[in-house]
Amino acid sequence: MSDHGCIHLNNFKAAKGIQPYKVIHSYFVTSTSAEARVRKAVSCLCHTCKTYKDRLHSCLHCIFFGCYVKGHIQEHAKTKKHFLAVDLSYGNILCFQCGDYVYDRELLAVAKSQWSESAKSLSLGEFYRAWEPTQIEAELLRKNPRRRRIVENSTIGLRGLINLGSTCFMNCIVQALIHTPLLRDYFLADRHHCPQPSRCLVCEVSHLFQEFYSGSKAPLTLHKLLHLIWTHARHLAGYEQQDAHEFFIATLDVLHRHCEAAPILVKDNPHHCNCIIDQIFTGGLQSDVVCQACNGVSTTIDPFWDISLDLGPAAGASGSDSSGPPTSLLDCLERFTRAEHLGSSAKIKCSNCQTYQESTKQLTMKQLPIVASFHLKRFEHSSIQDKKISTFISFPEQLDMTPFMSHRRNGNNNSASLDALPKNGEDTAFSDNRYCLFAVINHEGSLETGHYTAFIRQQRDQWFKCDDHLITRAKLKDVLTSEGYLLFYHKQILEYGRNSKM
Amino acid sequence: MKTAPHQRLVMAGDRDVLKELLRRRLVECGWRDQVKIICKELIKENGQDITYDTLLSMVTSRARSLVPDSVKKELLQKIKNQLMSQEESLKM
Ligand SMILES: [Zn+2]
Ligand SMILES: [Zn+2]
Ligand SMILES: [Zn+2]
Ligand SMILES: [Zn+2]
Ligand SMILES: [Zn+2]
Ligand SMILES: [Zn+2]
Repeated sequence: MSDHGCIHLNNFKAAKGIQPYKVIHSYFVTSTSAEARVRKAVSCLCHTCKTYKDRLHSCLHCIFFGCYVKGHIQEHAKTKKHFLAVDLSYGNILCFQCGDYVYDRELLAVAKSQWSESAKSLSLGEFYRAWEPTQIEAELLRKNPRRRRIVENSTIGLRGLINLGSTCFMNCIVQALIHTPLLRDYFLADRHHCPQPSRCLVCEVSHLFQEFYSGSKAPLTLHKLLHLIWTHARHLAGYEQQDAHEFFIATLDVLHRHCEAAPILVKDNPHHCNCIIDQIFTGGLQSDVVCQACNGVSTTIDPFWDISLDLGPAAGASGSDSSGPPTSLLDCLERFTRAEHLGSSAKIKCSNCQTYQESTKQLTMKQLPIVASFHLKRFEHSSIQDKKISTFISFPEQLDMTPFMSHRRNGNNNSASLDALPKNGEDTAFSDNRYCLFAVINHEGSLETGHYTAFIRQQRDQWFKCDDHLITRAKLKDVLTSEGYLLFYHKQILEYGRNSKM
Repeated sequence: MKTAPHQRLVMAGDRDVLKELLRRRLVECGWRDQVKIICKELIKENGQDITYDTLLSMVTSRARSLVPDSVKKELLQKIKNQLMSQEESLKM
């Protein structure tokens, strides 16, 4: 099997060109349009036995479809002396004279571009294709023959970060971002193409990934990153200690703004942005306000990058189920998604009965992000005093978000609109909502003299503690018994589908 | 003409979408790499000139048995859902 065809295919191409292949391929293999899909559905049956499966082939010389398993395409080739056929599942060419499939570069290029076209017509980004080096990449590989095999206890990807004077809040956020699996895949695949590299935070993060995975172990300084964030998020400028959560959100915001000069607008994405940050971090929060007089529901859905969770005792909890302060992440989430009475002093005009009424409000997860970031509100700021809540809040290694989904929690799947009908690849009944912990940021010590550190997961189940320039091995138990300020979970199963996030 | 379920899946593009999901799941779980290694070894043992059909007959049952149950289950469920929602929209 070579990639320059065979004499028979070459003769055929010399006589008839590549048009016959192009037509068959675009209609019956890839189906590059809705019209082609209809034709494929109706006509792709074996002309002899009427099956639609069993390795259906199309004759390249005439309009004949035949299956291979029961020998009907072979029969046709023999009686008509039409010795070339196209496999209708994969688009490969079978030469009966050579007795095998043959590959031809020119036709492979046609196939490749038609697969892309087909994916586009289905609003899928691109079909999966195994990585093939481009000419430049092949050249780079030749010039750099040293390869590194990643073994089980490899520490590649780990580097300490120098503290530039209370910049531990930045260091720990950078560690969490660098160890976000999908973000790493994006940057190591060199996917950011930039209009303005010198002022771009995404480029700087891209550069950081290169540094982290260069194999060097010396700690890094983040001067440039800090400078870029200061210029683009002025409220964070200055060397004093900052809140890691605020810094995290500001960083996502700057990255999102720099991601693409012209953001791609995608209708289904609540943030109306399809940049890598929104693809990974954006979820949709549903808010249902229910009028107590007429039970009319008004629903809104807002995008979020993280969920901030209260730790104090539930204030004004509705009626009998007033409970003590939460002791676990699940408690917090249960409380976050509980229907809450807005009180008699906060009457809202109901859009249904048009009068001012008392109402309840409930928040639920309409669409889950790939990375779920939870912020435990340990810092209480009030006019009297600022204080830190250091109570232990347990959090699991594996988290299932199913109980907090909109359709589960309140039965309201936003059924007022047709959008709620299950779309392709998005069926609420089967969706898997399990997450796995991959980073935890801790605030140690008091409000004034505190210090931030991070636990990060590397290579599936290895944990490390990042304390500025120091990286040490940690046990899962250390992670799960730590205080926890920001918790980062990664979705275990990714959905692929039309207009879906990936 | 009455269209068969299979034809409806092709027409709506669902078949391509489901096939892509399957492809990605098989890549994710390492199935693709496993099968690639098996094929490479068979080619080494049997020589470069081994035909596609011979390779296929030696690899198919092994490759099938390597597909994780979770992947089969997910695909089955999704095909079912897709056909059911098509049925629903036909009724409307
Ligand atoms: Zn047949
Ligand atoms: Zn023919
Ligand atoms: Zn030939
Ligand atoms: Zn850039
Ligand atoms: Zn964005
Ligand atoms: Zn009302």
